[in-house]
Amino acid sequence: MTHLRLEGLTRRFAGTPHPAVDGVSLELPRGALLALLGPSGCGKTTTLRMIAGLEVPDTGRVVVADRDVTALPPHRRNMGVVFQSYALFPHMTAAANVAFGLEMRGIPRAERQARVAEALDLVGLRDYAARKPSKLSGGQQQRVALARALAIRPDLLLLDEPLSALDAKLREGVRDEIRALQQRVGATTVFVTHDQTEALAMADLVAVMNEGRVEQLGTPEEVFERPATRFVATFVGRAARLPGKVEAPGVVHCGAVAVKAAATPAPGASVELFIRPHHIRPLAEGHSADNALDAQVLRRTFTGDVVALECATPAGTLTAELHGGTPGASAAVGSRLRLGFAAQDVRVFPA
Amino acid sequence: MRPGWALRLLAFCGYALLLAPVIVVALISFSAGDFLTFPPPGFSTRWYEALFANGQLMAALQRSAILASVVAVIALLAGLPAAYAIARLRFPGRDAIAMLIAAPLLLPTLVLGLALLLALQPLKLAATWPGLVLAHSMVALPFAVRIMTTAFGAVPREVEEAAWTLGATPMRAALRITLPIAAPGAAAAGALCFLVSFDETVISLFLVGPRLSTLPVEMFRYVETRTDPLVAALAMALIGVALAVVLLVERLVGFNRALGRS
Repeated sequence: MTHLRLEGLTRRFAGTPHPAVDGVSLELPRGALLALLGPSGCGKTTTLRMIAGLEVPDTGRVVVADRDVTALPPHRRNMGVVFQSYALFPHMTAAANVAFGLEMRGIPRAERQARVAEALDLVGLRDYAARKPSKLSGGQQQRVALARALAIRPDLLLLDEPLSALDAKLREGVRDEIRALQQRVGATTVFVTHDQTEALAMADLVAVMNEGRVEQLGTPEEVFERPATRFVATFVGRAARLPGKVEAPGVVHCGAVAVKAAATPAPGASVELFIRPHHIRPLAEGHSADNALDAQVLRRTFTGDVVALECATPAGTLTAELHGGTPGASAAVGSRLRLGFAAQDVRVFPA
Repeated sequence: MRPGWALRLLAFCGYALLLAPVIVVALISFSAGDFLTFPPPGFSTRWYEALFANGQLMAALQRSAILASVVAVIALLAGLPAAYAIARLRFPGRDAIAMLIAAPLLLPTLVLGLALLLALQPLKLAATWPGLVLAHSMVALPFAVRIMTTAFGAVPREVEEAAWTLGATPMRAALRITLPIAAPGAAAAGALCFLVSFDETVISLFLVGPRLSTLPVEMFRYVETRTDPLVAALAMALIGVALAVVLLVERLVGFNRALGRS
């Protein structure tokens, strides 16, 4: 059941040539977590701010649970927002921060206290209730902000890069915590991030944004394995990119060879091939693949659990990523081998 | 980095230059002689005793303190909303209004005093409490607005937005969140407005009357006719009041925080 629906949201800031957000439409089922993923300046934060009511769209509608909230100011929307900077109230204790939204709703003191305790318990900060934000660590501040947003039992939980202010070590743990918490309380959530790992790991749905538009909306697997546009293929995950020309349906002339691909534009079109490193395998003696290329190792990079082999092939330079111990992973620089990959793993986009 | 001896010497000379007149006045205030001479012929506290026994000056001190307190309150009450609007809201004429509020700072006080006299006289407000309060508030307001605009501007916008998303109307968010965070700035602004009014002389000269006079005006008149060290003792009393106000702000909020540099 659709809980959040965006219809053609557009926002143009004065003095800029292109709209910050340009006709964003999407639907999100109740209880799902949507990641707005994109580079900085792609309009993801502006989209989130329009959902929260902090930014007014030029055109388009925000519909929550079949109610058009586009014209409502933020204080009448009932949305829990966690800001990038957390935006805690510095002159109030953690408990008072969490209580603020309940107080604004006129909830009586006794119930308020119970719900504050409940929210702080939820994020594991019961013992820190009396502390001011300045006496809390970054991770603790982040959890207070989360508790504050959840305490009002929001229709939507909106998170703007909530992990970016944390150091890398904490990030993964907090990421999993937020996801677990979100699923426990069943909050329909929109999460803004520029970090694809965060988006892929946490989200039920990922909207990849670029220049104010949604390039692709899909599950993390869809976005990663079947990028709909060249931008998505470039932004999400890594890939070897080879220029080519379509010879016949399913065949692309690339470098000195013909590469088989699952779907191609009309013959004659100039295209770019994207092949993910983990789809490329060394072929053992007597084995074959849709595409099999002679290769010579140019560079070998060992990063612990993965070995990257950068190889020269007749089609161009390809990088294969292999787990340590798999056949071919020990290939030395200069050695020759055969690389194979399936036609369906070759994505073709107009150049 | 620890300052080197050359820098310390320079700083010492600078402070000595700034404070030398104060030190001279402080020494003369303890003079045992009958005239404003330096060095004093001997030391005593007779002029402080004379000061506290001088009913006219003590009454003027009381009037000035009351006037300055009222002016500080009015300048804050009028300045806070204005500063909030300038710092936070977007509306046509915002820059013009900000300029207009700052305008009294640009006019020579002599011109301002004359203009106020001409404006207040027909309204029967010259040489009255309301007239003085109005005039001083007008001079103090730019300071209040300037300091508070900075203080409000230093409160992150996201903090206020967070309050909105939690259900606070813009008014409640401003009163419950933005204003308390900017409170040190308000304390500094109030103190400064108090001192601006307390020290204000030129405009007061135009607006005081025989039954309503402020301390700086009384002091000015006293020096015109007398040459005894009483006025030095009075000057020390004025410095004492200013110092007390600054220390109070320092005690309450810390002066650096109050001025927005921490």
